[in-house]
Amino acid sequence: MKLHSEIKSHNYLPGKTMIVLTLVFSMIALTSSMKYKSDFHMSDTADGVKKDSIESVKAFMKVYEVLMSPRCMNCHPAGDAPLQGDDNHVHTMNVVRGPDGTGLYAAKCSNCHQPTNVPGLHTPPGNPKWQLPPANMKMVFQGKSPRQLALQIMNYNLNGHRNKAQLLEHSKDTLVKVAWNMGEGRTPPPMSYSAFVNVWNEWINKGGYAPKQ
Amino acid sequence: MISLNVNQKTYQVDVDPNMPLLWVIRDIIGLTGTKYGCGVAQCGACTVHLNGEAVRSCVTKVSRAEGQKIVTIEGLSANNDHPVQRAWQEIDVPQCGYCHSGQIMSAAVLLRENPNPTDQDIDEAMSGNICRCGTYLRIRKAIHIAAEMQKTKSNTGQTKNSVSPVKI
Amino acid sequence: MIQVSRRRFIKNAGGAGIALWLGINVRGNTIIATNIIESGNFTPYILVESGGAITIFNTKPEMGQGTFQSIPAIIAEEFEVSLDQVTIKNTNGEKPFGNRQRAGGSSSIRTNYTDLRKVGASAKEVFIKAASARWQADESDCYAENGKVFHKPTNRTFTYGELVADASKLELPKEPKLKDPKDFRILGKMAKRPDVPLKTNGSAQFGIDVQVPGMLYATVARSPVIGGTLKSFDASETLKIPGVEKVVQVERIMGRYHSVGVAVIAKSYWIALKARKTLKIEWDNKGYENFNSVDYEKHLRELSREEGVLDKTIGSVDSLNLPPEKNVEAFYETPMVAHHTLEPINCVAQVRGDQVEIWTSTQVPSSITGSGENDVHKYIGFMPDNIKLHSTFVGGGLGRRLNVDYVIEAVGIAKNLSQPVKVLWSREDTTELGPYRPMTFSQLKGGFSEDGKLISFQHKVISPSFQEAMNPAYDIKKVDGTMVEGIGEQAYEIPNLKTSYVRADFHVPVAAWRSVTSSTLAFCHECFIDELAYKANKDPMNFRLELLSKPSDLKRVLLKTREFSHWDEPLPKNRGRGMAQWEFFAGLCAQVVEVTVQPDQSIKVDKVFAVIDLGEVVNPDNVKNQVEGAIVMALGAAIKPGITLKDGKCMQHNFYDNPLIRIQEVPEIEVLILAEGGKVKGVGEPGLPAFAPALANAIYAATGDRIRKMPFDLKKV
Repeated sequence: MKLHSEIKSHNYLPGKTMIVLTLVFSMIALTSSMKYKSDFHMSDTADGVKKDSIESVKAFMKVYEVLMSPRCMNCHPAGDAPLQGDDNHVHTMNVVRGPDGTGLYAAKCSNCHQPTNVPGLHTPPGNPKWQLPPANMKMVFQGKSPRQLALQIMNYNLNGHRNKAQLLEHSKDTLVKVAWNMGEGRTPPPMSYSAFVNVWNEWINKGGYAPKQ
Repeated sequence: MISLNVNQKTYQVDVDPNMPLLWVIRDIIGLTGTKYGCGVAQCGACTVHLNGEAVRSCVTKVSRAEGQKIVTIEGLSANNDHPVQRAWQEIDVPQCGYCHSGQIMSAAVLLRENPNPTDQDIDEAMSGNICRCGTYLRIRKAIHIAAEMQKTKSNTGQTKNSVSPVKI
Repeated sequence: MIQVSRRRFIKNAGGAGIALWLGINVRGNTIIATNIIESGNFTPYILVESGGAITIFNTKPEMGQGTFQSIPAIIAEEFEVSLDQVTIKNTNGEKPFGNRQRAGGSSSIRTNYTDLRKVGASAKEVFIKAASARWQADESDCYAENGKVFHKPTNRTFTYGELVADASKLELPKEPKLKDPKDFRILGKMAKRPDVPLKTNGSAQFGIDVQVPGMLYATVARSPVIGGTLKSFDASETLKIPGVEKVVQVERIMGRYHSVGVAVIAKSYWIALKARKTLKIEWDNKGYENFNSVDYEKHLRELSREEGVLDKTIGSVDSLNLPPEKNVEAFYETPMVAHHTLEPINCVAQVRGDQVEIWTSTQVPSSITGSGENDVHKYIGFMPDNIKLHSTFVGGGLGRRLNVDYVIEAVGIAKNLSQPVKVLWSREDTTELGPYRPMTFSQLKGGFSEDGKLISFQHKVISPSFQEAMNPAYDIKKVDGTMVEGIGEQAYEIPNLKTSYVRADFHVPVAAWRSVTSSTLAFCHECFIDELAYKANKDPMNFRLELLSKPSDLKRVLLKTREFSHWDEPLPKNRGRGMAQWEFFAGLCAQVVEVTVQPDQSIKVDKVFAVIDLGEVVNPDNVKNQVEGAIVMALGAAIKPGITLKDGKCMQHNFYDNPLIRIQEVPEIEVLILAEGGKVKGVGEPGLPAFAPALANAIYAATGDRIRKMPFDLKKV
């Protein structure tokens, strides 16, 4: 019997800001030619936007609220089991990540999670690509401070091998968008999808700075 | 009309494409070995194989299964002799038996993908299947037995390859 | 006294050959030779046909407890047939099979063991007699084996089938000679259950699987506020949905609980379920919309001040006047829980004129077809003789299917139709509408003498009443024996004992849940015994044994348990061991639970040792399966959230908020079966009550935290 030995929710943050987005970074193909960590700080401007560490960090703090919301964080757990619910409890059916993030054996994500949401409360939310980040690129959100999470996202070797352009593009991924369409009864992230895209782009375009803490 | 391939037979069913596969299999096609337990993918009683994966038919729209290969408990083996079924019989796993169609379908996927599962592998594969009678210790043991059986005798009864369109 | 006493000729269904029915008379020795079909006082168990076919009838619905094998096994043992040779048939509440076609109270074996042996033994004797007459041989030179009679000196044989005509002319022996248990070939041996292969390929038919030609499907909208009923409804939108056939009112009746709902009848269950959402219904909540279980629990705590009704008293608890430091008091609380049979509640019914045919999973076929005062006929308006039942395998009974509310309701719907109709409760219906096991609260007091002996024990139960819920004739001034089950009958020798009951009014349907009130009272009682042991500074095992000076089943069981569980071997730091026992109507089981306190302070249940006392054992492997399962069910009730009500409604809906135990949560379990003769005891329920207190006592041993409320969270003890 291994009750509760999996994951503890580390509430490093006030409950109010503990939120979720799911599976943000797992899906993009590894097409980058980038060999090194990050190109965020290589030029002064990006798309005509001036680097601005204060504004960038400010934007990230909003990004952070979304990423730590249950709709995002539940599929970016610290352990190998996804989380469920607004209280981030360990997924009831004891499912695990598996090497490619799609679950294992008779407990694969798509065995229950359909291409679209199932009607009704507490039914599995749907997405054609439903999965966790793969085992070799776990992209953990749970338990990360704003600084840790920002540095992780900016780090080419930890962010799914995405360069800046790919990161900017990533906000349009179906598994990012799904956070705002999680089926009945689930609290959405704390801002609209378009507001999220704006702060995401602003954070990156203004230099992708990490907060001090 | 939706065309379904269940246990290597083709069925044409005239149903709403949103109808869950479970109710099509049970109430329209008439294969009642697949059970309704919760309707929300919590208990696993409705587990069938969809292209070999242990999907929960209660939340799977029949449209997802159109043209795909579906196997239910009735089609897992021709003679009730899949290693998992034989192991279940060898140590009398079931009590009331209601959940075991789903348990067996899940275990069959586990053993196909992992011929030597550890207790932890079994827990990770089988936690989506609830047994109210609490036969879990026997389920675990039977899966280990089935793994051994699978090694010594790989041929199991396969459903005969028949395609007979049935109008419902 | 039940006598094996009667046999009859009847024609086979096909009219070919002769058949011999053998069974037991349930009303004593006066037998009248009437047509068997009309006889209500004879329960046939064996049918031998001249063609050689042998059928053994199982009158106890198979719901996972193993009667499909165990009942025939007892008969087959004495009848000298192997189970491979016979066809086993479940009975369907038919009158000729008697009025005890019901499975509950772990009673199937314990109340029938000897009678069923006599059925088999006298049947065997009559065949031996018939054979010896044909051979003109001495009966003592003949013996039976594998469905044949052998003449030892000449090696001649007859099959039972060949002897049917002769055997049927002979009188059955009244007191047949039973086998010496050392000669048993089936009883007490590991045996495969014949229902298992049917349950591995989907061919076992449960009530929910029944398909009758032309069948429609129904789902019922019932008042979400428990106790409420229908005021009015508008089905105009619903009736427009393609596939919807009819919308009708229907009453659900369960003891004193009556409620009218709205049934949607459609071509498929899924259409019916979707269409149900379009009903516009106004409910009459009858004031129950403000009910909530938090307030009700407060009320129960307040009621504990009342004296209540006396259950049992020994000595004089009230006049002892022990000094305060010699008294110990504690208050224990337990929750309501749902049965959650995995097969949701369902029933198929078809009405044709004054006849009704019913297909369902039930624990009580006899209540559905019977003519008793509270049987189904009373509520559906059909003569008992006009009720035909098909009783299927049961996908979990657990006490839920002792009730027939869903059968009455299905017949009520079928009365509106010419077609058969399958009424299926969704998991949400099953969870939200009860019945539930009621909560029990317990006030406990113990008192020690100057020299440290436990001399006083009081247990007062405060709870709703099963009797009041189910039996309109119940006198509320009297104790409801079901609600104080076992607490006055534990074998502990305590010179001053008082057990009592305070009834609390409750409008929510309640029902027996596997091991009934022992499933909660054992927790309170046996944890408190543990508290007293620690107060007396004694090892909990020694403390109990010191209260058992006289020989008793419990003493014998505890001594075995001590050995079996390695009780006296010390455990490492961070681990703890607890024990409990419970002896009640169904039987006796003692358990030791071992736990580990993990680095994050959560509790891991490592191992359970269970010793079950049976007297006689039919199928040891099945007994182990039952005890393992009972422990898993008890674990769930101990650590998973129970049922709560708010604004009159059940707050739980499905397994996501009323979870059951899953495979990764199950501890190692070792079972020891004691079958040392004596009283035959039950199997299905006794494995349950001792677990929760043994677990809580183990947690105390490991952490020093005393748990007095179920459920408890192993993450945060």
